[in-house]
Amino acid sequence: MEKHMAVCPYCGSGCKLNILVQDGIVVGTEPLQGITNEGELCLKGLSGYDFLNDTKILTPRVYHPQLRPVKGAPFERVTWDNALNFVAEKLLAVKEKFGPDAIMLTGSSRGAGNEANLVMQRFARACIGTNNIDNCART
Amino acid sequence: MSVSVPGLENAGCLMLFGYNPNASHPIVARRVVKAKEKGAKIIVADPRYIETARIADLYLPLNNGSNVAFLNTFANVIVNEGLHDKQFIDEHTVGFDEWWKTIESYTPDRTESITGISPRLMKEAARMYAHAQPSSVLCWGMGVTQQKQNVESIHTLAAIACITHQIAKPNSGLAPVRGQNNVQGSCDMGALPNVFPGYQKVTDAAHRQKFAEAWGVPTEKLSDHEGYKVSNVGHLIEEGRIRAFYNFGEDPLQTEPDTRKLAQQLAALEIFVCQDIFMTQTTAVADVVLPATSWGEHEGTFGACDRTFQRFDAALPPKGECRHDWEIIADLSTRMGHPITYKSTREIWDNELRALWPAAFGATYEKMAGLGHAQWPIPTLDHPGTPDLFLGGKFTTPDGKAHLIAHEYKLPTETPDTKYPLILCTVREVGHYSCRSMTGNCTTLSLLAEEPGFVHINALDAEARGIKQDDLVWVYSRRGKIITRAEVDDRINVGTVYMTYQWWIGKCNDLTIHAVDKRSATPEDKHSACQVELVDDQLWAEQHAHEIYMNLKARMTQESAPQQIAPHQRGDR
Repeated sequence: MEKHMAVCPYCGSGCKLNILVQDGIVVGTEPLQGITNEGELCLKGLSGYDFLNDTKILTPRVYHPQLRPVKGAPFERVTWDNALNFVAEKLLAVKEKFGPDAIMLTGSSRGAGNEANLVMQRFARACIGTNNIDNCART
Repeated sequence: MSVSVPGLENAGCLMLFGYNPNASHPIVARRVVKAKEKGAKIIVADPRYIETARIADLYLPLNNGSNVAFLNTFANVIVNEGLHDKQFIDEHTVGFDEWWKTIESYTPDRTESITGISPRLMKEAARMYAHAQPSSVLCWGMGVTQQKQNVESIHTLAAIACITHQIAKPNSGLAPVRGQNNVQGSCDMGALPNVFPGYQKVTDAAHRQKFAEAWGVPTEKLSDHEGYKVSNVGHLIEEGRIRAFYNFGEDPLQTEPDTRKLAQQLAALEIFVCQDIFMTQTTAVADVVLPATSWGEHEGTFGACDRTFQRFDAALPPKGECRHDWEIIADLSTRMGHPITYKSTREIWDNELRALWPAAFGATYEKMAGLGHAQWPIPTLDHPGTPDLFLGGKFTTPDGKAHLIAHEYKLPTETPDTKYPLILCTVREVGHYSCRSMTGNCTTLSLLAEEPGFVHINALDAEARGIKQDDLVWVYSRRGKIITRAEVDDRINVGTVYMTYQWWIGKCNDLTIHAVDKRSATPEDKHSACQVELVDDQLWAEQHAHEIYMNLKARMTQESAPQQIAPHQRGDR
């Protein structure tokens, strides 16, 4: 069994844990002696891991880019090149027509991590040219 | 937090005000128990008899929506009983006399009818808090922040800590315990409309110049005014101010107030991009879905509620075509003319944060390796990090002093009336998290309860409506109407019902009012008016609730069905 060190993805307590992986499937977690949790985990820390196995109990993971070629059309799976060029084109068109402040962007205060937020706020500010960047800190 | 999570258990008194750690932060709740075992006094002020109330030395069941009245009274009693520290006030605060002009009239006799707290109990709590040795901590959560007078309450909480000198020493002060695992981190990283990373204001020309140089863009490219807050996005779309929305890792159609209205507003966007790991109610209505790797499939750092940065590793390789969040955004930025070419999270961390935020310079990946951590401010490589802020009474204002601010009490935006006679307060529970896309897909956690979720209702309110435990009921407000199950709960107060956040059918946010305060733009999720009614035909109700849940799940599956058909199978577009 493999053990991979992580920090729990749920609340803000910052509990260190190992993710236990057997043959590519997450089979459990175990607490570590982190500064805030000192070898303890709660219900979610102990039982909140197997969404990684894409159980589809509530809703499926997404594995491929998909888009609606025109507003309201059904989704189609596309290549990354298609998806990102589509987004780039649409965002540049909005920026051209309505200015950078007509575009709103968010960071993520969940599992994405700090580095993704650093890149996102730079993208908003240096590329788009707006401070319309925020995160779900209020709910 | 001015205090660290481990430090909580060394305080002499913990006062929990609108904070239920057993549901929201069980590991912090353990610290409360440990503090109690070490002799600390525990005060709980909450309309619900929450778990921590069971071990509290004092329990103050204040009325919903009365926070500022309560805190003003608490402060009033502290001064009138002579419990304040005059020397600390003189040396480390400004504005006491002006502050007192507002607080002076909030005597406990006068406010009892608003707060529901007797003068005797108020005085006992004030004495316990102010006299505790070696320190007291005021802990709060969304019971404070998701109210109309949220910023006002926090000003008063801070003033209470200052006038009693229960701040500016180890294990003391203020503990607003942040909810999501990286909400402190994303704020630290500048995912906020008014600040660059490290809370460096966008309106400050020197900061703009520093970041423009680091990013290789002309200074005038960086916007000199604050941006919009995401909790206003629906109204901004309606007003035509926002035309494009790039939503990253959030499910606002589950977690924001008045979701039915928000769904209409999102439909008016010219382009709606969602970057997520799951098909959610929000990604299902996007124009573009960008699939990211999940926690467990990438590495990086998080910032815990007490400013502690820690590293996490990947346990699994990316699935399908999923890419790391930062790679997707960097690729898009490069395509749009601003190249971002990092190769690793460490490179991003060193260049975008440590190099640009002096208080985080010492937070190296090496220091955070394994079980290591780095608690900011941590300005140098050999700095140990800072568990306690403001030691010695040095505050982060220009004059280094705490500025005391007081506010008059105001009623919540929406108060009960004959048609909507109950208060609806949204809360959390331990087994599920936020929009539930993660915990709802976990085998064990999904066994805890199932749709359509629950509305907690006091036995008297239930009886008056002919409602019994587990009956299916309608809950409706000015915004909408949902079906859910009654949980008759003697630990909650008469006149208020409580709904947890995560149910997709028994969705509280179809009912909540979308009112935000001007300064923080935090929605007033703790106080909407509603009514609860028994569904006449329970057999029909069971079938109906089941059917709409199955339909919703089927819609999620249907919207992700194109995932199975690769572009080459469909022929090139």
